[in-house]
Amino acid sequence: MSTRTREAEQESEAQGSEQSTAYFVYGVVPGDVTPTEEARGLGDPPLAVTTVTRSEIGALVSEVPLDGPLGEPDDLVAYQRILDGTVIEAPVLPLRFGTVLADRESVERLLDDGHDAFLAALNELDDRTEFIIRGRYVERALLEQILEDVPEAARLRDSLRDAPDDLPEQSTMDARVRLGEIVNQAVEATRTTDTGNLIAALEPLTVTAIERPPTHEQDAVHVAVLVDNARRRKFERGVEAVEKRWRGRVELRLLGPLAPYDFVAVPQAGQ
Amino acid sequence: MTSAVATTGGAAGSGDSSSDLADVIDTILDKGLVIDAHIAVGVVGIRLLTIDARIVIASVDTYLRFAEAVNRLDLGESEGKALPDLAGGKASAIEKAGETIGQLVGGGKERQRTRSRRDREED
Repeated sequence: MSTRTREAEQESEAQGSEQSTAYFVYGVVPGDVTPTEEARGLGDPPLAVTTVTRSEIGALVSEVPLDGPLGEPDDLVAYQRILDGTVIEAPVLPLRFGTVLADRESVERLLDDGHDAFLAALNELDDRTEFIIRGRYVERALLEQILEDVPEAARLRDSLRDAPDDLPEQSTMDARVRLGEIVNQAVEATRTTDTGNLIAALEPLTVTAIERPPTHEQDAVHVAVLVDNARRRKFERGVEAVEKRWRGRVELRLLGPLAPYDFVAVPQAGQ
Repeated sequence: MTSAVATTGGAAGSGDSSSDLADVIDTILDKGLVIDAHIAVGVVGIRLLTIDARIVIASVDTYLRFAEAVNRLDLGESEGKALPDLAGGKASAIEKAGETIGQLVGGGKERQRTRSRRDREED
């Protein structure tokens, strides 16, 4: 059987039977949004992205097979591509990856139940997009600064360097752990300072900012910001200015425009 | 009527935006609205592959890596030679950082262009 035939069969099966597929919900959009005809969702084979519309809002959905697991790299990439592609044209409230409802009626019910809250959130996010600013320390510059600033680190480094080469590794363990601990503390302190400075520098250019937890030991900054589309150029120039100031010390990257992943979370304790 | 740009599959071919899966995971993981399964009707418990959230928890391993990195700074380098080497290191870092932001700012535009071109072609 050719791949093509098999996919065609799966697709017709998926569309014909409510039991073998369910609705993956990407996000909530204003009711006048329609996906382009060729838009495909996640899963294998990827099926068409459509909208389920109720009153003034709609849900971006595509059917997915019930039996297969979700979360392959392609699925994650497709999910983000659909949401980021949408936010360029219209506001969208991303639903967490993996939100799957049994059938069309369930999607309608979801929209009906949350209609006013969804609509209010969409209005709030209209003409706004998210950007993520990520910075990674340039290791050499970071460590040299720490050795300069923290005498104990330099002292430990010297003692380790001067230790005889034939010394068993275990005997320098305490000194190495202590050195690393000091460095780690200094990195954390530097990160806190840099993150605060970045948020403050961009504050006039952004609607709001959220600090994200570091995902790497040498992360300098990891911040999500919400930006008015009208101020996007100014914002980007603001990021460039920070990048220039930090050049040689921090490698800065700007991701976006993105769907507002960080700005739709239901408030929870500790967030 | 607004036409949303929910583009098609073929992730690998769509340029810089999808090149870094780590960025995708960092961006979307544990984000977005959560539908309360107890309230919403028809929530299906579809099997999700486990995705490791990358979080940083400082441990002895972390410390040893940092210590090793500090010791690496000295390799083949006396105090006297440290300065020129340091300057050289910084110069190359400048170049690198410049490239990074250039790709980013340029990359953003490129990404949009790619999208709209895709739309026109209706692939």
